[in-house]
Amino acid sequence: MKTTFRMTGAALAGALALALTAGSAAAYDGTNCKAPGNCWEAKPGYPEKIAGTKYDPKHDPKELAKQGDSIKAMEERNAKRVENFKKTGKWVYDVSKL
Amino acid sequence: MRRSLSIGGFAWASCAALAISGFFGAAAFANDRLIELAKDPQNWPMPGHDYTAGNYSPMDQINTGNVKDLRVAWSFSTGLLNGHEGAPLVIDGVMYINSSFPNNVYALELSNPGKIKWQYKPKQDPAARSVACCDLVNRGLAYWPSDDKGKTPNLILSNQLDGHVVALNAETGEMYWKVENSDIKVGSTLTTAPYVVKDTVIIGSSGAELGVRGYTTAYNVKTGEQVWRRYATGPDDEIGIGDDFNKANPHYGQKGLGLETWEGDAWKIGGGTNWGWYAYDPDLNLIYYGSGNPAPWNETMRPGDNKWTMTIMARDASDGMLKWGYQKTPHDEWDYAGVNVMMLSDQNIDDKDLKLVTHPDRNGVIYTLNRVNGDLVRADFLDDTVNVWTHVDLKTGIPVRNPEYNTRMDHAGKDICPSAMGYHNQAHDSYDPERGLFYLAINHICMDWEPFMLPYRAGQFFVGATLSMYPGPKGDRASYLGLGQVKAYNAPKGNYKWSVMERFAAWGGTLATKGGVVFYPTLDGYFKARNSDTGELLWKFKMPSGGIGYPITYEHDGTQYVAIYYGVGGWAGVGLVFDLQDPTAGLGAVGAFRNLQNWTQQGGGVLVFSLDGKNPYSENVNLDEYSTEIVTDGT
Repeated sequence: MKTTFRMTGAALAGALALALTAGSAAAYDGTNCKAPGNCWEAKPGYPEKIAGTKYDPKHDPKELAKQGDSIKAMEERNAKRVENFKKTGKWVYDVSKL
Repeated sequence: MRRSLSIGGFAWASCAALAISGFFGAAAFANDRLIELAKDPQNWPMPGHDYTAGNYSPMDQINTGNVKDLRVAWSFSTGLLNGHEGAPLVIDGVMYINSSFPNNVYALELSNPGKIKWQYKPKQDPAARSVACCDLVNRGLAYWPSDDKGKTPNLILSNQLDGHVVALNAETGEMYWKVENSDIKVGSTLTTAPYVVKDTVIIGSSGAELGVRGYTTAYNVKTGEQVWRRYATGPDDEIGIGDDFNKANPHYGQKGLGLETWEGDAWKIGGGTNWGWYAYDPDLNLIYYGSGNPAPWNETMRPGDNKWTMTIMARDASDGMLKWGYQKTPHDEWDYAGVNVMMLSDQNIDDKDLKLVTHPDRNGVIYTLNRVNGDLVRADFLDDTVNVWTHVDLKTGIPVRNPEYNTRMDHAGKDICPSAMGYHNQAHDSYDPERGLFYLAINHICMDWEPFMLPYRAGQFFVGATLSMYPGPKGDRASYLGLGQVKAYNAPKGNYKWSVMERFAAWGGTLATKGGVVFYPTLDGYFKARNSDTGELLWKFKMPSGGIGYPITYEHDGTQYVAIYYGVGGWAGVGLVFDLQDPTAGLGAVGAFRNLQNWTQQGGGVLVFSLDGKNPYSENVNLDEYSTEIVTDGT
């Protein structure tokens, strides 16, 4: 009985551990925070980090840089337009004419 | 019997002034020219009417007793057929009208609206149309009243879908300056209305469905010069986070989270665009708005809380620094873009006189926060059929998820409420300060959701989910009707005084008036008036096309007018506008609104109403006649 009990206990403990692990992930409810404002958890069966997994979107750094480059270029063109406007009082949109 | 319009307006202004003084001491509002303009019932000078964004008018010439006599006074067609969101502006006897792409602007003299005072028709890159996510809408204009007319004229500010911001001479329509704000080549567009604060104009951004990293920019209205630009994601200095950010509520999160809550460089294409509405508190010098959904919609591709998307932001208007930020939907899994209207009110809650901001969010929750420091005061469900959350913990600010309705790769989510359209979308709601009620134009739509993987390519759609939408539990799922609601919400009590179902989503918004009448358009083309206290339907008019804008009201020559755009479209009407058949097309909208075509078709313009249809031509039939001389044959 004791052995059985121990085995049952071990099995129960294992099952409980599994249940807790699965339960904790399955019950992802956003309340277990690593730090204030940082409460995301991976769902059961899903990775904490997706890099190198089947869910890795493998983003191309060149594509990721395009928005930033575009904004920088727009800001530079706008600055030239404003500078000319302040000097002349006339708005010229086409920067090639400045 | 008509009540006196001027006395009603004056009485309201006095009461409001007394109430403000009583609660919070003398308010330093006097010197702001836009505030002064908004106090005059002849003007509607900004989205939301005034800086509280309450869409409320102190006029009562039109009231519960006579609204049944409302008739069309005059109308104006823009000649465009895409959805007409937003509302006209009215300043000093002139109405300024925005339109869908190509974002034409018209000025009409109210004393003779039959003649166009001026028109501005921009030549835009037609490629802009292909990167707009949800029809080709535009949510309105802004007005800047000059303080140095010898040098800078009064200005109308207009955002264009192709990413340009233009300043127009309000007298002539001539372009004064034009800057590039958004680049359609990387998927970035502009649909939001500009917002004027002091001598700057605040501009949002669109394109989270194409992975655009959201940003907000302030330009000097006199020169077009960029004053500040702040982002929704990334390093603290680019977001505008300093030492005092969330000082009163450190549990919301403070420094470093714009990077730490993303994996790798995902924040660079992480969305958070803000294409919705603003409010401004001149005493605090804070502007309020919401950042939108993270990109892509497929949550498995972006582990983390994805800060600071989905956030109510309170920024210093002078430098754009974030005073506080509250993320409503950490790690969004449903596209609950957090850009909806922010309405400011001063109310007593739990025996405290509080300065509040109230925000009905797409995620099914209506939030009320202390707008001074960001304390969460109320968080109530917009409808008792919300199932993605169990509740919002007011102490921690955390929305507690119901795991049954989360979404993830390799899983088909079913019966998720609200849908991606939210239980509330871009509708500009209203707040009646006398009744203490918010009038909410609400969606009642649920969905199935299945994610898929996709690569990011700048300028291409970056969504990664297939959606089917249908009416919520209170609607008729067999016939795809019952997709909307209108409700009167009491924030201190956290309850709804009245509510009514609508056939389709109430997409445009509401106008509240001292006359005890709430106005709103419906997607199927009715313009309705209800009793503010009871919700009773008092009047309606069938418009040429469905309404997705919000009503305004103004006085001209002693007559109160109510104006509304017609022109079905927007996300809800995208199937009708582009003749789409696949129910999952239009990001899931087509299926939900499959029956809209049986009630309305496309159109675009302004309708203006008054009691008995009184208008400049009914008072003088010869007004705007080419000739009054009649030649006869003598018989």
